Amino acid sequence: MSATGRERVPIESGYFSVPESDAEAPLLFGSRCKKCQETFFPRREVCASCLHRETTDVSIGPRGTLYTWTYLYVPLFNSQRADDGGYAVGQVDLPEGPRIQAVLRGGPDDFAIGMEMQLELETLRQDDEGRDVVVYRFRPRSEGGSE
Amino acid sequence: MSFDDVAVLGVGMTRFGVYPDLSPLDLAREAGFLALDDAALGFGDVAEAFVGYLFGGPMTGVRAMKEFGLTGLPVTHVENASATGLVCFRDAAWAVASGRSPIAMAIGFDKMTEAAGSTPRAGGGGRDAIDNVILPTAYFSLWAMRRMHERGTKPEHFARIAAKNWNNGALTPKSHRQPDHRITVEEVLAARTLAEPMTAMMTCPVDDGAACAILGSVELARKLNPGRPVVRVKAAVLQSETYTPGHTFLGPVVGPASMTRDTANQAYEQSGIDPRDVDVALCHDAFAVEELQYYELLGFCAEGDAEKLLVDGETEIGGRIPFNTDGGLIARGHPGGPTGLAQIHELTVQLRREAGRRQVEGARTGLAHLVGGGSVCTVCLLQRV
Ligand SMILES: [Zn+2]
Repeated sequence: MSATGRERVPIESGYFSVPESDAEAPLLFGSRCKKCQETFFPRREVCASCLHRETTDVSIGPRGTLYTWTYLYVPLFNSQRADDGGYAVGQVDLPEGPRIQAVLRGGPDDFAIGMEMQLELETLRQDDEGRDVVVYRFRPRSEGGSE
Repeated sequence: MSFDDVAVLGVGMTRFGVYPDLSPLDLAREAGFLALDDAALGFGDVAEAFVGYLFGGPMTGVRAMKEFGLTGLPVTHVENASATGLVCFRDAAWAVASGRSPIAMAIGFDKMTEAAGSTPRAGGGGRDAIDNVILPTAYFSLWAMRRMHERGTKPEHFARIAAKNWNNGALTPKSHRQPDHRITVEEVLAARTLAEPMTAMMTCPVDDGAACAILGSVELARKLNPGRPVVRVKAAVLQSETYTPGHTFLGPVVGPASMTRDTANQAYEQSGIDPRDVDVALCHDAFAVEELQYYELLGFCAEGDAEKLLVDGETEIGGRIPFNTDGGLIARGHPGGPTGLAQIHELTVQLRREAGRRQVEGARTGLAHLVGGGSVCTVCLLQRV
C-alpha cells in the first residue's frame, strides 16, 4: 500500500521488492555465486564469471554510488513525468558489486559522478484493476524520501 | 586453402538514405548486382550466401536471394544487431577459406526508416518493460559523461569527431549525409542536445540501404579482374561479451569497452598485423564518443591519449590513421544490416586506391570495427596484396 492508498504491483515480477509501506526502501533481487561469491543483477541460475551452476538469491541495495549519468531531452513514454521534457538515467554501483542502469529522479543540474544514491519506487500508471504499477529508480541520497 | 588466400572479389552498395518507394529486396537487388558486376561474376557463380538484416520476418534472406534467381545455393541468415554486416562478411570469408564454397556472397539490407517507429530507438523510449528503459543514446552518453569525468574530455572533442565525419561524408558519393558546406565544431555543438553531452549532429541518421561483398580466392580475383589490385582478407574476428565486474545486464547495452580491445587483439594476432601497420580504420561511430574511445581500444594510441590523437588531426584524411573516411555511421549512415558491408566497400575502394578525393595516400591495410547491442564486437582486417 502506498501513500495513495492503492495497492502497488511491480512492472515485472522477480526484479525488485515492493514493501508494504512506501516509507521502506525497495531492494533489488540478485544472485550470488555459491563458489566465487560474485553478485549479479538481475537473478541468474549460472555464475557469469566462473560458470558455477549454483547461485543463491540475495537482496541488494538500496544504497549505491553514481558511476555515470546523463540527462535526456526527450519525453519518457508511459511516464507521468513526460511533461518534464526529459529524464535522467545513470549507472549506480552497489556495494554488493553489481552496476545498475536505471532512471534517476532529478533534473539536469542534480547529479555528480561519485554521489551517494538511494533506490526508490516510482509509480508509472494504474493497471486495469486500479493498482499502481511501479518500477525502481535512484535518487541522490541528499534529497528527501524514504530511507 | 588458407584464410590468407581469401580475397574480396567485388563490392557494391546503394547510397544510404531514405527510400520510401523501394522495398528492402529492391535495395538488396541493387547492391547485389553492383557487387557481382564489380567482381565480373553472375549470380549463378555464387556457391553460398550469408544474408544479414535486423528487421523483416523469418526467411527474408532466402526471399532476397530469390530476387537474383533460384539456383539452389545454401543461404544462412545472420543477425547480430549493428554488427550484422561484418558478421556476414566473416562467415563468407570462412566459407571460402574452409574450401566449402569457392565463391561466397555477404549481403545486408534494412529499412530503418520503417522499423524506427516500432523500436525504442526512434521515440522517447518505452517504459512498459523492465528491460526497455535505457536508450542507446543514453547508453553512449553515459560513456561520454564518464570519459569527461576521468579524462577532462570536452564536448568540443566529440564535436570535432562528428564534424570530421560529416565532412568526409561530403567526399563520399554513397554517403547519406553530404553537407553542402564545411561543418564546424561550433555547428555540431549548436545542434539540439539529445542527451548530455550529445547533440543531434553527433549521432547517426535513421536510414535505409543495402551493401554486398563477393569473396573468393586471391587467384580467382586476379583471373576475374586482371591488372586490378587484389584486396585480401587478413582477419575476421567475432566475439561476444566476456564478463567483467561492473557489467550491466539489463537494457540495450553494448558490452564492456574491453570487448573492442579483446576482439582487435585477436584480429592482430591472427593476422600478424600491428596497429601501426593500419593505414585506414572504420569504426562504430553511432555516437561520436565511441570513435574517441576506439582510438585507444583498437590500439592506435595509449590509454588517455585519444584526445591528443584527435586534436593533432591524426585521424583526419592525411593524418597518421584516418578514421571513418567515408563519413562513418554519422554521415554515411547506419541502416543496420548493411552497415558493416558498407565499411568493407569503403576499405576495398581505399585499398584499390579508387577513393578519389578522400583517398588515403598509399593505403595498404585497413580495419573495420563494429559493435552490436546485446552484445558483440567484430573486427576485420583487409590488406592490398
Ligand atoms: Zn562464480
